Amino acid sequence: MSSPLQPAANLGKRVRIVVATSVMLTFISFWRAAAIVLNDLASSAFYACGIAEQAVGKSAPWFIVGVMLFSFTVRAVYVESCSMFVRGGVYRVVKEALGGTLAKLSVSALMFDYVLTGPISGVSAGQYIVGLLNEVMVTADAHGWIPRAIHNIFHGTPQFDVNWTSVVFALAVTIYYWWENIKGIHESSEKALWVMQVTTVMVVLLLGWSAFTLFKVGWQHVPLPTPGNLHFSKESLGFLHHSFPDQSLAQKFGILGIMIAFGHSVLAMSGEESLAQVNRELAHPKLQNLKKAAIVIALYSFIFTGLTALLAVMLIPDAVRVSVYKDNLIAGLAMYMYGPEILRLLFRGFVVVVGFLILSGAVNTAIIGSNGVLNRVSEDGVLSDWFRFPHRKYGTSYRIINMIVGFQIFTILASRGDVYALGEAYAFGVIWSFAFKGLAMLVLRFKYKGERGWKVPANFHIGKYEIPFGMASITMVLLATAVINLFTKSVATISGIAFSLVFFAIFTASELINRKKHALSQQHMNDQFQLLQRDTVERESLRIRAGNVLVPVRDYNTLVHLRWALEKFDIHDQDIVVMSARVSRFGAAAYDLAPEQIFSDYEQTLFTRAVSVAESFGKKVSLLVVPASDVWTAIVQTAQNLESSSVVIGVSSKMSPEEQAFALGQAWEALSEPKRQFVLQVVHPEDHLDTFRIGPHTPTMKDEDVLLLHRLWLSITREPGLENVHHHEILTEALTRFAREYGAREREEILKELKRTGNATRLAGGPQPPTAPLVRKEGGDGSFPDRGP
Amino acid sequence: MISLLGVLLVRILEGMFVVGLVGSTVVLLITFVEDAELLLGREDSNHP
Repeated sequence: MSSPLQPAANLGKRVRIVVATSVMLTFISFWRAAAIVLNDLASSAFYACGIAEQAVGKSAPWFIVGVMLFSFTVRAVYVESCSMFVRGGVYRVVKEALGGTLAKLSVSALMFDYVLTGPISGVSAGQYIVGLLNEVMVTADAHGWIPRAIHNIFHGTPQFDVNWTSVVFALAVTIYYWWENIKGIHESSEKALWVMQVTTVMVVLLLGWSAFTLFKVGWQHVPLPTPGNLHFSKESLGFLHHSFPDQSLAQKFGILGIMIAFGHSVLAMSGEESLAQVNRELAHPKLQNLKKAAIVIALYSFIFTGLTALLAVMLIPDAVRVSVYKDNLIAGLAMYMYGPEILRLLFRGFVVVVGFLILSGAVNTAIIGSNGVLNRVSEDGVLSDWFRFPHRKYGTSYRIINMIVGFQIFTILASRGDVYALGEAYAFGVIWSFAFKGLAMLVLRFKYKGERGWKVPANFHIGKYEIPFGMASITMVLLATAVINLFTKSVATISGIAFSLVFFAIFTASELINRKKHALSQQHMNDQFQLLQRDTVERESLRIRAGNVLVPVRDYNTLVHLRWALEKFDIHDQDIVVMSARVSRFGAAAYDLAPEQIFSDYEQTLFTRAVSVAESFGKKVSLLVVPASDVWTAIVQTAQNLESSSVVIGVSSKMSPEEQAFALGQAWEALSEPKRQFVLQVVHPEDHLDTFRIGPHTPTMKDEDVLLLHRLWLSITREPGLENVHHHEILTEALTRFAREYGAREREEILKELKRTGNATRLAGGPQPPTAPLVRKEGGDGSFPDRGP
Repeated sequence: MISLLGVLLVRILEGMFVVGLVGSTVVLLITFVEDAELLLGREDSNHP
């Protein structure tokens, strides 16, 4: 479908720009999607039960199990929202149902959730590492391996200060990922899958060994989750502590006690929002795969978080569980398995490694997720464009990243390494973003008339009205828990409300400023550009000839490659297409972008410069903006759709031309068949050129190989009856024989010989740049010399 | 008066929580059956 956005009047004066509105993505399986979500969701297993037990007492694991069972229903809410909107995150759904003001409030709560995910994960990872180091030193000291002098300096076994060392560790991890995100880290589902595979090995070992331990040494009783078994701490009653200082609250209001305990355990299901964010990248059939991913996520987190919490209380003695292992409960569980100490210590080391991987990954996810959400609301005009201005060198939205990481560093320092305080505050963001989501979905049951692929079950009819009993029930639990948490989590309530109000004020002020500014810039843009909306990029509808030259542009200060293309190519033979990819990374939740949002102030400036360059050459260029999750994917998919023969790019400040070609080659390999080859030309500022072929191509032949082939040809054509044989027929015969031998018994010998000659070549030529199997570098002048005999 | 309002609020929240948990349990059981059907490949695709 296509529809001009502007009226036809005065079109001749304006430059035509095609804005594609469908994001170009590489689609992923439900396993990979589940792995991405679990990297966030499953990380809470490392700290949730410890926090809950400090708040409500020894029956906490039952509440964690209850929350994990309830998370199955929250997952159902997300599946329904994603079946309605491809990006069914909190912002989109709340805005649709409850309007912009509540959408801004819900995003503020979600931001609080994201900003705290980093610190709690970083500090928790630090607690696990420092806990292990201290344990190792105690063991070493017990064996007399620590020198007496060191022992004397520390007046006993040397020990790190757990909380402050964790703060240092969390700061180091946060700063590391800050820099990675400033540079524009590529988030891969491959890495997420690998982390979950390692985590699964740990979970299987943990559950198996725990079962064996239960069988060999028995277990401690876990008190049932009844009001009488609840023992709230002073902190866990929050504001209610002043009204009920005698701790009799649970007995006074039986169910209220259960609700308070449930509220202290909800952080175990944080991370569901990521499901809405990966939905867009799920492969076909999307809804089926979304459901499968959701099942995997819910089952995995139930088994890992729920069962681990139960086992911790069953196996770790009461005397040490809270006092020693409250912040690294799984490490404590490893130490109380049945078996030799060295094995237990080794397993604890493995737990710490896995904890480090998954928790530090969650720090990164928090930065990416919050950057994505803020970029998204910025695109909607709710956050000033100033925040979204790209980094001069790396092109990332560095101001947003700086702001988020600034908040996170402040939070880490303010927490002083106290995981409990962080967890209490974290739960505020988690439960309020879910409550907004549930309420909005309930309203949409009556308000939304569009397509809905699936519904949360338990609906019944009264007359012609459908009563969404299931959805209403889930929303009631979420809302009741969110309200009760306001009273029982004083630190979270004060900090959460303050944070949300600050964000809400920023959003509201930005929106007002943007509204005035955009009205002016829209007027200027309408005078200069005509935006034409297309769902997808198709050559015919864009009126571009096959064999065109695609010139991706990003920075309006570096358009050397566009000048080069305009100088070298004759537009009578080949069209020149200037393309800008609007990157919308994983985490840029919410909804499809309107063309005006994709074509922002930045694109306007970029295309104004590009048109000015083209005008200086007196040549016409076609302009195209495509949204994409990844620049390289956008380039190869556009080149494929437009049937481009060449892609001309500028040399990158952070990648060598070979690495650029490698990245493009990898994106090309991920394309589905049939695929077209094209030439990549990387233009250096001083007009020097690197040229690569992308796709299967004739390999580069050494001169001696060409001579050998020619000598063979001379020899063979002297034979009677073979006078007319061509060079390529000899090559075909040679390759066929080679393939036959490689497939048979001479395979090992061939591989050995190839390794030998390969090493010799590399040694002679020095270190080689990474090269994708389907990328070939050509002559430095950009030509493709005919090397055939 | 404030105490009375407080108790009323608590009772309302308790009511919402209990009814909500009952309804959520029903949702949980129905989705378990649907999930099992999906995993065993017996589900009608994309029924609304």
